[in-house]
Amino acid sequence: MAASYMKIDPIKNCPFNRDDSPFGDVVLSSRARLARNLDGFPFVHRSSSSDCKEVSSLIKQICDHQPDDATLEWVNLDELDAQSTELFVERHLVSSDLANATHPRAIAVGPELSRSVMVNEEDHIRIQSIRPGLQLDEARKDVEALDIRIEEVIAYAFDEQLGFLTACPTNVGTGARFSVMLHLPALRIIKDLQRVRNACEGMSLAIRGYQGEGSKAIADLYQVSNQVTLGYTEEQLCSIIANDFLPPVIEWEREARKSVASNQYSKLEDQTHRSFGLLKSARMIKLHEAMQCLGNIRLGICLGLIDSIEIKTINKLFIEIHPAHLRHLYGIDTPDAEICSLRSDLLREKLTE
Amino acid sequence: MTTCDYCDQDAVYHDVQIKNGVHKTQNLCKQHATEAGFLLDSADLSIVLNIGESDLPSKSTAVACSDCGMTIAQYKEKSLLGCPTCYETFKNKLKHIIAEVQDNHLQHIGRAPSSEGVDVNRHLEVLRLLKKLDKAVNQEEYEQAATLRDQIRELHDGGELHEN
Ligand SMILES: [Zn+2]
Ligand SMILES: [Zn+2]
Repeated sequence: MAASYMKIDPIKNCPFNRDDSPFGDVVLSSRARLARNLDGFPFVHRSSSSDCKEVSSLIKQICDHQPDDATLEWVNLDELDAQSTELFVERHLVSSDLANATHPRAIAVGPELSRSVMVNEEDHIRIQSIRPGLQLDEARKDVEALDIRIEEVIAYAFDEQLGFLTACPTNVGTGARFSVMLHLPALRIIKDLQRVRNACEGMSLAIRGYQGEGSKAIADLYQVSNQVTLGYTEEQLCSIIANDFLPPVIEWEREARKSVASNQYSKLEDQTHRSFGLLKSARMIKLHEAMQCLGNIRLGICLGLIDSIEIKTINKLFIEIHPAHLRHLYGIDTPDAEICSLRSDLLREKLTE
Repeated sequence: MTTCDYCDQDAVYHDVQIKNGVHKTQNLCKQHATEAGFLLDSADLSIVLNIGESDLPSKSTAVACSDCGMTIAQYKEKSLLGCPTCYETFKNKLKHIIAEVQDNHLQHIGRAPSSEGVDVNRHLEVLRLLKKLDKAVNQEEYEQAATLRDQIRELHDGGELHEN
């Protein structure tokens, strides 16, 4: 099964390879996720191993008749090696909880690893799509198309009043979680992030760090998502983020960048080139430090201080400098002790060409 | 009946909060809820008392879901329900929890599986339009409100014809 996964190269197949990235200076990516459960089965945490297997084989039918434009590859996670599973985690396709679990579970992934169906996570089914830049509505349409395809082969647990029934009442209703990954370095510099937090609070949105739940901000990257899933249509939930929340926030960050560029130019110039120089010369670098430097360089690129590097190169490096991606590139048996030096090798190569 | 987190009294205040992705369930008796600054107005209290009442007969044997055997105490450990039927089994208790985590929304208006049939989908469309109508009236957009009202009437009449 591990061999079948390797048909998809996670480096070549990355949504960030694409050039369409609306509002890409501030919005790194957009993601849509639907939680679904099968009628007549206990939820995953109370399922026996054979329940899980049965659910899994029912959903696997979606891979039997593949439409040409939307093929999915089926991967059984319980038969996959830890290294490949970790790759999925680093791509935010599989949660670390699902990666470390032992019950029968699977993932069906599309060619760019941008669309996926997780099987037997907290819910029987989690349908997901990730797109570069602000493309929340497009991501919503991706997951709805997959939802309709799954609905053809199985019956969902659905209630006329409460909508789609999920293991946790926080997902009930639409089962939909829409989120955007934002890069907000200038608002941090001018100490105005509280404005974004207040906006989130006023619209029942959650704000988290790069790694999702409970994580701190790394490289000034923030994830914003809807908290409420019931009482709104899927379009409305998207619209709250894309049309109510984001336009002012994008404007604040852009204004803050202008103000930093005019009022603190020397400081900005120093921070950008110091980070750039560090990544071009370091021989060993830890993940956190590398991420922070990449974030600084990204701001510098957006403000025209560096023009030899494309933003999408930085977006991809945010992912590729994680351990499992480095092992995929440099050898699966790389010991932990060598990861820091391989990371610096990759960064030097990508930033000096 | 659930007992208070701080004493053995029956809990009248139920709350689930999610902070940084971590669920925090709170159950408080009247005294501890008041001390914690949660105001239980008379309306809240009557709902709460109703739940207490309906739970009385089953006090000796804790209610378990007929499909999966889950009890409300087990739910509280993980904040995860056992199966779709649990939503029916614990309907009264969940009403509070859902209202709390879902900004007081208790009715789905989003998509439905097509297998649910025309009636459910039409019903949801009426609910969607009613919500829009409410918003239009609040914002004093009367022209739009009139259009919405006509659409709702049409869907409603169409539905009755269909049922006869
Ligand atoms: Zn008490
Ligand atoms: Zn149950």
